[in-house]
Amino acid sequence: MIRWFALRATLFLTFAFLLAPVCVVVIASFNGGPVLSFPPRSFTTHWYALIKPEFFAALEVSLIVGAVTALLSVGLGLPAALALSRGRFPGRDGLNAILLSPLIVPALVTGVALYQFSLTFWDLTHVVLGGTLIGLIVGHLTFGIPFSVRAILAGHARFDYALEEAALNLGATPLQTFWRVTVPVLRPSIVAGGIFAFVMSLDDVPIALFIGGGDATTLPVRIFTTVEFDFGGDVMAIAALIVGGSIVLMLALDRLIGLDRLFGARA
Amino acid sequence: MSTAAIDRSAAPARTRRAADVWLWIVLPTTAVFCLIFATPILDLTALSFHAMTGPAQVGDAFTLANYRAFVTDPFYLQILLRTCWLGALVTLGCLVIGYPVAYYLARTSSRWRGMALFLVISPLLVSAIVRNIGWFPLLSESGLVNWALLKLGVIGAPLPLVNNFTGVVIGLVHALLPFMILTLTTVIQRIDADLEEAAANLGAGPLEAFWRVLLPLSLPGVVSGSLLVFTMAISAYTTPAILGGNRVLVMATYIAQQFRTVLNYPAGGTAAALLLVFAALLTLLALQVRTADGESASEGRGA
Repeated sequence: MIRWFALRATLFLTFAFLLAPVCVVVIASFNGGPVLSFPPRSFTTHWYALIKPEFFAALEVSLIVGAVTALLSVGLGLPAALALSRGRFPGRDGLNAILLSPLIVPALVTGVALYQFSLTFWDLTHVVLGGTLIGLIVGHLTFGIPFSVRAILAGHARFDYALEEAALNLGATPLQTFWRVTVPVLRPSIVAGGIFAFVMSLDDVPIALFIGGGDATTLPVRIFTTVEFDFGGDVMAIAALIVGGSIVLMLALDRLIGLDRLFGARA
Repeated sequence: MSTAAIDRSAAPARTRRAADVWLWIVLPTTAVFCLIFATPILDLTALSFHAMTGPAQVGDAFTLANYRAFVTDPFYLQILLRTCWLGALVTLGCLVIGYPVAYYLARTSSRWRGMALFLVISPLLVSAIVRNIGWFPLLSESGLVNWALLKLGVIGAPLPLVNNFTGVVIGLVHALLPFMILTLTTVIQRIDADLEEAAANLGAGPLEAFWRVLLPLSLPGVVSGSLLVFTMAISAYTTPAILGGNRVLVMATYIAQQFRTVLNYPAGGTAAALLLVFAALLTLLALQVRTADGESASEGRGA
């Protein structure tokens, strides 16, 4: 009994530790006193009114980049995942490893590599990648493609080929079979891959920091560079809004596909 | 596309054609991937073999001087050591805090299990930058932790808990704890609960049963969880940059500094190449451990 009590107490403290910073962001954003002081002295909502327009511009950039990254990741990931799980060509395992390799490269290394690449690319082609939305999307595709390939590969492991054969036997053309059997059967893992690419894109700092800039600054990078110099209540307020947005997104995902399923695709 | 799909079961002659089809299908993704990932990584690696000729200027001649500096200059050795020390502390913190939670998740049949699992995963679903910012009202000089400790009379003056190495350790333990817990839970789940009961029946106290039965059996999980957390800790940039307050120089913050402010690209490229190799080797090692463990586990089931 004492053992279970000790375990319960440890659990409680650990969960408090896990949730503390997220809860504190929300509480601190209503702090009428100095925002880094705790406990708060008075209640205010004026930090929310002080959020600079540049944060909302950055949010727009983040959402656009996230959505395009997710769509392209799935669009490029689906054919690759199908080929990797169905094709029997030489070098298939090697290609599999290569396409998933960005997941073991530290994001910061990918970020500085893309920064260096954008300089080289400009030297060669005079096309500007750094500080553009295209640059950001390219940067986020480096992890978006592997995430969706991995999710679809995992979903495909349970694929029942009899469904496709039945469709073909019933007179469907290969293209019809693809769109009306293959894609719907794989939809959960396709969606999971796309959502992962989207969420990771929204979360990323190291890559967007080095390939973005100027008008192409994502929300996390805008917060990051602001916090480097000065830490105000408006940052707390925008962070609290992100927490709210994450909770809404989480609930929506749980209702739509189930978080356990989403995490199953990740493993 | 689907013609090729059913060709899996078709005659060998058609399979050969199908193999070609799949190569064509995988080609666009591979091409995009080579352009946007492989080329930049190779470009960065090439950078590390050239000398800096001025701010943001890179020479043409091939040199190994950057690497030589890294293994001989005490300044770089210090950064390497600090990075490993950070990884070790974070790993230890995650193990000590995570093990009891993993044990609970693996053994409980309580209806709160789902809720507990969700709480463990939930920090992963909130943006890393937001979590980092949340530590400041907790750890700053006038923050909650110092306020509580001062009130309780434990300390006489506020402790420096953030904008330093301590802050980075706290932030990374928090960020990586879920990964440790999930890895350990999977492994502990596979250990027969009867073994603990047998140990208790044979007179072992809870502590002895833990040391001599549970811990040795869960060692593969401890090792692979530790490798995972260590690798992520030494690769992390956002947390060391924010909670270290630009004052904690580890590999990641050093690399960023070289590219953002010092503009010594070759030095930054060298550190980045080293970090990349280090992280990749550790990940391969972790995969090796997991495969070996998976094999022994399936052998165990068969026996």
